[in-house]
Amino acid sequence: MNQECSGECSPRLRQPGASEPLPFLDDLMDFERGRLSRRIYWDSRIYQQELEKIFARSWLFLAHDSQLPKAGDFLTTSMAEDNVIVVRQKDGAVKAFLNTCPHRGNRLSFSDAGNARSFICNYHGWSFGIDGALRGMAGKELFDASGMRPQEHGLHPVAQVASYKGLIFGNMDPTAPSLDEYLGDFRYYLDVLLDMDGQGTEFIGGPVKSVINCNWKIPTENFIGDIYHALWTHDSAAKAILGGSVSEVYKEDNESYHVNHKGHGWEFNLDTVGNAATLGDKEIRKYLYSIQPEVAKRLGEFRSKMIGSISSASVFPNMSFLPGQNTFRVWQPRGPGKIELHTWTIVNKSAPADIKERWRKGAMLTFSPSGIFEMDDGENFEFSTRTNAGFMTGQQDLYMGLGAGSALPDSALPGNVHHNQVNEANHRAFYRRWLDLMKARDWTEVPERDASRLPASAFNHPAPEVAAP
Amino acid sequence: MNAATELVCAPETTARRLEQLLYREARLLDTECWDAWLALVAPDIHYWMPAVENRRRSDKLGAWEPGRGAYFDDSLRELSIRVARFKQPSAWAEDPPTRHVHVISNVEVYCTEHPDEYRVYSNFVNYRSRGEADNDLLLGRREDIWRHASGEFLLARRKVLITQSLLLSKNLNTFF
Repeated sequence: MNQECSGECSPRLRQPGASEPLPFLDDLMDFERGRLSRRIYWDSRIYQQELEKIFARSWLFLAHDSQLPKAGDFLTTSMAEDNVIVVRQKDGAVKAFLNTCPHRGNRLSFSDAGNARSFICNYHGWSFGIDGALRGMAGKELFDASGMRPQEHGLHPVAQVASYKGLIFGNMDPTAPSLDEYLGDFRYYLDVLLDMDGQGTEFIGGPVKSVINCNWKIPTENFIGDIYHALWTHDSAAKAILGGSVSEVYKEDNESYHVNHKGHGWEFNLDTVGNAATLGDKEIRKYLYSIQPEVAKRLGEFRSKMIGSISSASVFPNMSFLPGQNTFRVWQPRGPGKIELHTWTIVNKSAPADIKERWRKGAMLTFSPSGIFEMDDGENFEFSTRTNAGFMTGQQDLYMGLGAGSALPDSALPGNVHHNQVNEANHRAFYRRWLDLMKARDWTEVPERDASRLPASAFNHPAPEVAAP
Repeated sequence: MNAATELVCAPETTARRLEQLLYREARLLDTECWDAWLALVAPDIHYWMPAVENRRRSDKLGAWEPGRGAYFDDSLRELSIRVARFKQPSAWAEDPPTRHVHVISNVEVYCTEHPDEYRVYSNFVNYRSRGEADNDLLLGRREDIWRHASGEFLLARRKVLITQSLLLSKNLNTFF
């Protein structure tokens, strides 16, 4: 499943000397008391260290396999503030490079996506193969006479590139654990999104890119575990599309959970179609019910009830999605108070074309810049950030203690399991991971709190039954 | 463009009427007269505002096309749902209200192969202000089909092309 970068490319990516961790990190949060300092959203020193200690060594989402079907297909995206080219190789592997010419530093590709046989810098015409190698330049003989060795001046590669069931990730740190290790047992839950029927997923209807003036952690928190806001924030959208309020998840005696593992988290109940219902399209609900029995055979009854249920999830640090609404997004940081939101719609490859189209439009109507749900989220995200510009406001603490005592240590489910999806257990787990990374000089100093228990075979599901001819 | 030179200009009175209608439409949006705006829309409306991608000129896929990413790709049902949200007292992001201005210009009105339908090109400037410092500026070009039926003109098709590929706003809480 993995497509690891060959080790020889790593030295071309010079690593930063690890900065000294900030001295006040432990003052920023108290997990026992559910306390979080507002400084994490506004302090530019914290942000600068996040770029190094979170983003330059975590696995960051780059692309979906379906965006790069052919050799030479590429897209440009970012890993935090680093712009990168992600390109399909002739052998089917995917490589990623800093999107900058190593000669004088100009941006290399100005396209969002396309197909290329080479990348040519606009400045002096240096030409690079899709494998990143420097192929040629004007006046090559002068460089030869200068003793320049072209093989030493290829594009700077992202240190590690790997994929999990269609999602391609990159990591700038050659010493980071493998993607499989990084995702760990959270893959048990990711399979609900990525592996319902063994035929995989694809991206449609994207990317749609917009700017929100908020700290990147606020939307990540929102998706990792905050169903609590939906009842109030999204009342107008629910009434507009459903004719009634958001279901009172916190009052209902439904079986629901917060689960987290290595800083990733998923909140969910088991109503199968609760999220999908907010699209107001019964064909999508019918589709989910129609595939549920097969999903149950593949992933078990429990996970088959998660495929479109009231739920949301984030993968540390900045990738999120909503099962059922099928919006998939990355919150790209652009300074402590600003993000670029990149969104796509993710669908089962095997879904009928009509169902895919309904999802593309449904996600657009609900969770996109024009979406009736997202409109109210954006306001919350921005002002939960901007209030902290006030010097004294920024010194105050926030509450993050909801669901203390809700842990289910004996649960058979993977990860840290808490009962009741109205909870802040996943927020606390996200910040536990954040703190561990911010305090670590390198990966060897990151404590292993959530050892994976599931064997690799747990993610290899039986092949779908082939219908008799 | 060649396509434009082949177009036949609509009669002066029709052109004038449709131009006035575009101004009225802008005023309805600026004053949040959502139902009156919706009443200008034909039952078979296709209201489309594609997302814009940066692709090289040689890339046949182009910057946008049907079926790709979009901000609006709506029928009357979706437009009605959006209007229904604007009207909810719990639409928190609209209260206190956003102040809107739509400036319409570059209006061209042409006949089409259907005697009751007119192709109308226009440009817009949309400026939105919220609270104290939230100001969003968006400019774009529109390509409409307005249909004459029972003495009224109804908007049957609208394509909205904005200049931004990265939308520099957190939302689009209006129509264009």
